[in-house]
Amino acid sequence: MSQDDHREGIGGMINPRRYGIERVAYLLMRLSGLGLLAYFIGHIYETSNILRGQVGWDDFMDLISGTEGHIIMSIVIAMCVFHTVNGVRVMLGHGGMGVGKPARPDYPYDPASQNYKHKIGIYSAIVLAAVAMMYGLAVMFGE
Amino acid sequence: MRESTVMKIHYGTALAAVALVAVHILMRLTMGYAESLEYENVLANYKFVPYAIMLEIILVLLAVHGFNGLRVILLELKQGRLYEKSVSYGCLIGMIGLIAYGSRTIIMTNMGIV
Repeated sequence: MSQDDHREGIGGMINPRRYGIERVAYLLMRLSGLGLLAYFIGHIYETSNILRGQVGWDDFMDLISGTEGHIIMSIVIAMCVFHTVNGVRVMLGHGGMGVGKPARPDYPYDPASQNYKHKIGIYSAIVLAAVAMMYGLAVMFGE
Repeated sequence: MRESTVMKIHYGTALAAVALVAVHILMRLTMGYAESLEYENVLANYKFVPYAIMLEIILVLLAVHGFNGLRVILLELKQGRLYEKSVSYGCLIGMIGLIAYGSRTIIMTNMGIV
């Protein structure tokens, strides 16, 4: 088998099952980042409708204020909260906080940086995203 | 620019954006969500100069952070001199375009050219 046969490409990079919750966080961070960038571009376009005057603005608001619009918005809220909380965790990790001290690698070679502090950070980000999503839905559908 | 400097900018824009976006969202909750999105209320937001300045800052921060994030993701997928230059300049052009388009909305609405 040649070396190229072992290459999994993007599929291998995004496979969330092999490397634990850290890989899931890595994948979610990128997916939420891309989703938020897409939403941001859409939001800039959406708000530019105010230049069309009241009729143009109201037409566009009618388009995005339905059930589908609220559901998309709640997903955006979840992505935003996850990206923020996980981003703070990543920043702290890059700054050397919570990654453990350098030590000789001994069997079973557990990476010091993949410890319970960062796992708690990742799970917290997921839980907070879910809570924020529920709150967002309550606000938007509560009216 | 060194990648370490770019990442400092990436993290700095992220932290600043979190604070300002929180204010932006809280403005939606000062009254009912649907009411805050009514034409008159949105127009009043844009005409309030400190708020318009804050919107402009958020626009720049998020455009820089977002397009640099996109650049990092694309550079993780593939490498190569031409590819990396294309991605970097493409993201820079996208960022400038988005800032220009968003600024146009903020400035024209603030000046009453609606």
